[in-house]
Amino acid sequence: MNPLREGLATRSVPQACTVVIFGATGDLTMRKLIPAIYNLAADGELPPAVTVVGFARRPKTDEEFRKEQEEATRKFSRQTVRDEIWNGFAQALFYHQSEFHDAAGYKSLAERLEKIDRERGTGGNRLFYLAVAPDQFEPIVKNLKEAGLNKAREGSWARVIVEKPFGTDLASARELNQIVHHAFAEDQTYRIDHFLGKETAQNILVLRFANAIFEPLWNSRYLDHIQITAAETLGVENRAGYYEGAGALRDMVQNHLLQLLCLVAMEPPTDLGADSIRDEKVKIVRSLRRMTREAIVENVVRGQYAEGAINGKPVPGYRSEKGVKPDSKTETFVALRVRVDDWRLADVPIYIRVGKRLPKSGTEISVHFKKAPQVLFNKESVSLDQNVLVIRIQPDEGISLRMQAKMPGTTFRIEPVKMDFHYGTSFGKASPEAYERLLLDAMSGDATLFARRDEVEEAWAFIDPLEEAWVAKENQPGLFEYPAGSWGPEEADELLARDGRAWRRL
Amino acid sequence: MPVEIGKIDRELKKLWAEAGGAMTRASLINLAIYSEAPGSLPQNTEIIFKITEDHACRAIVIGANPGAPENRVEAWISAHCHVSRAGSKQICSEQLSFLLEGPSAKLLPNIVFSQLDSDLPLYLWWQGEFHHPMDAQLWAWVDRVIYDSQAWSNFGTQLGRVEAAQAEAKQRIVLCDLNWTRLVQFRLALAQFFDHPSSHHRFNEIESVEIDFAPGYRSTAMLLAGWLASQLRWTLEKDSNGNSLVFRNQAAREIRVNSQEKAGEPISRVGLKCNSIEYRVTHAPKADLLKVTVEGSNAERKCLMPAGSNDPVRLMSEELMRGGPHSVYLRSMNAVRNLL
Repeated sequence: MNPLREGLATRSVPQACTVVIFGATGDLTMRKLIPAIYNLAADGELPPAVTVVGFARRPKTDEEFRKEQEEATRKFSRQTVRDEIWNGFAQALFYHQSEFHDAAGYKSLAERLEKIDRERGTGGNRLFYLAVAPDQFEPIVKNLKEAGLNKAREGSWARVIVEKPFGTDLASARELNQIVHHAFAEDQTYRIDHFLGKETAQNILVLRFANAIFEPLWNSRYLDHIQITAAETLGVENRAGYYEGAGALRDMVQNHLLQLLCLVAMEPPTDLGADSIRDEKVKIVRSLRRMTREAIVENVVRGQYAEGAINGKPVPGYRSEKGVKPDSKTETFVALRVRVDDWRLADVPIYIRVGKRLPKSGTEISVHFKKAPQVLFNKESVSLDQNVLVIRIQPDEGISLRMQAKMPGTTFRIEPVKMDFHYGTSFGKASPEAYERLLLDAMSGDATLFARRDEVEEAWAFIDPLEEAWVAKENQPGLFEYPAGSWGPEEADELLARDGRAWRRL
Repeated sequence: MPVEIGKIDRELKKLWAEAGGAMTRASLINLAIYSEAPGSLPQNTEIIFKITEDHACRAIVIGANPGAPENRVEAWISAHCHVSRAGSKQICSEQLSFLLEGPSAKLLPNIVFSQLDSDLPLYLWWQGEFHHPMDAQLWAWVDRVIYDSQAWSNFGTQLGRVEAAQAEAKQRIVLCDLNWTRLVQFRLALAQFFDHPSSHHRFNEIESVEIDFAPGYRSTAMLLAGWLASQLRWTLEKDSNGNSLVFRNQAAREIRVNSQEKAGEPISRVGLKCNSIEYRVTHAPKADLLKVTVEGSNAERKCLMPAGSNDPVRLMSEELMRGGPHSVYLRSMNAVRNLL
């Protein structure tokens, strides 16, 4: 512990290290990773010695790499790039050209990292970022191990960050995990899910466990149901190649939305340690009631957007998008009713919906409380609304609570009112980008906001039967069309209507 | 808008009603500013306007002149609106301003208490010197008292008054010294040199510390020396002429701390020498970045880090953002208390 840090930071301090990015010429590096590292450096959050080595196939000099990254950072950084800061930062950027499967490239990488340690004071700490497609994990990890880069020398560390998707099903996830574990232990492995880096996702734990008023009510006695929605107006854009093989369930539900579900359903952890939190999260994934074929038909609705309009502009249907098969059966919308079979939330259905080309973009969790007994007010006329606690993840992050109030007047007319908290209104300081927070955590050795192996595998174990049902030859659940710009197929509304409920209006 | 004190609440409601929902009122704290300096009201209004950009609050700005022969009490209300970073919404904080002259200056606690936004903490920024006796009634309601010890004529007397009031108050008050806040970026820059566990042995190798401070900022330099001494467990051995100190670390090694006056930023240079290595942080005049250098026998490493600013708005924003119990401040200040 550095005594001079006392009182200066309430989080663990990142250590000087070299970040080696595999896939250094890719979109993720340009749009997110280098801008995030630059912003951290500009805000004084990083030790000055932090160094970045871009590893990719294309031949390029350090200077060319720096120039390219400078242009991208100027375009994508959340704060304006200042020349004097960039000039110093650029000196910490290096490029290492090699094929991913070329062992010699890793040997020379090891030599280069040693040199950087000596010259820049990175202390032998290495953070390997796999910003590549999963089929490249194996050669990279294998070669890192052969070059001895998976093990750090005494007093230093080596960690690996793995980007999603963590497989396409349980078998492939296990295989990927096996590949990574061949070289890196679980405590060296950081599986990134940028949703967890969002301020409001982290605030779910604070809201639930730092406010005494919610936790006593957070159970099946008082909760009616929970809804989790991730809506976007965008279509498949230029991701058809990936999306055709993934679909909404794999792309969003298996990772992001199940992570949110865990945060909203988990028991209080014993402490804020990474494993304490992840232990509680994994219990929730394990408690998700598995679905039989019959249950899938009853509890899951798949949809695909057809031609329609977004913000008044006509947009094509999914099957007419570039790169999409004309007879594609990939779902762009999915709605699920899931059950968590634990003591807290038994009998509290959780409805999840995610979709593309919906009328509005927004991700939120709404917690619907049971109605107050109608024995006093308006017992014969108007029905009282539920209290609803809404946690808005994006955009306009915040929390609102709907409650009942008496309308001014001589009669007892009751109307719902909304108490609204907006992050942007109350706190002037902008939240850091999710990647900034997560990179900082990985450099500090804090894995709390990263998915653990068992979480990922359990999530696939829940998702796999759904995917299998959709490709089964018999009794295949339907794929329902919905016009772009609508809130999904009618069948999704019916899913809730059957329970006497309706989707929350965003 | 001038208002009668008894009608402030009603006028505030009217003010927000007139906005017709086009503005959002936000408040996280009650921030009271007290000053006896002539012309302080417009100056502090300007400061509040800037502070509310990042820290939504109910501001209670008091300009007092207890020595005035005539009794005079006047009040105004106003709103400071900024476009939210999240969108195009106008986010507004309200300000209540009071001019208290003559005996009515003693109404301070009554005025502050009756205008608080309920349930929100009360931060009192006291500009200038504290009087004797301190009003215990006022202090009993304050959560954080903010002052700038740099401007105090006698540190011991002033702090004694604060501590006496703190002891008398029925609740715990956090002492926030803007002179300490001035040091945040220097402390961060110095701390990062020793983040890697392999550099921790260097703490015991520190031989000397050099601090350059601007005229009037000797106390800032002393606080910095106090911070190093208290965090690294040095004991003060000798104070030859006030600017040249000798400490001894736990291994009985001598550490010389020399500070010298030099025009420029409040603290313009700090150098730590450990055997063959020199750690240096410099702040060029008006620069918003610190130059951070490690110079060893083999190489020199440089980088830039954010520098603080001596502007009261920036200091207050930094203070409001960081919060915390300031226990390190108390330790640091106590380590050099007699030198301040």
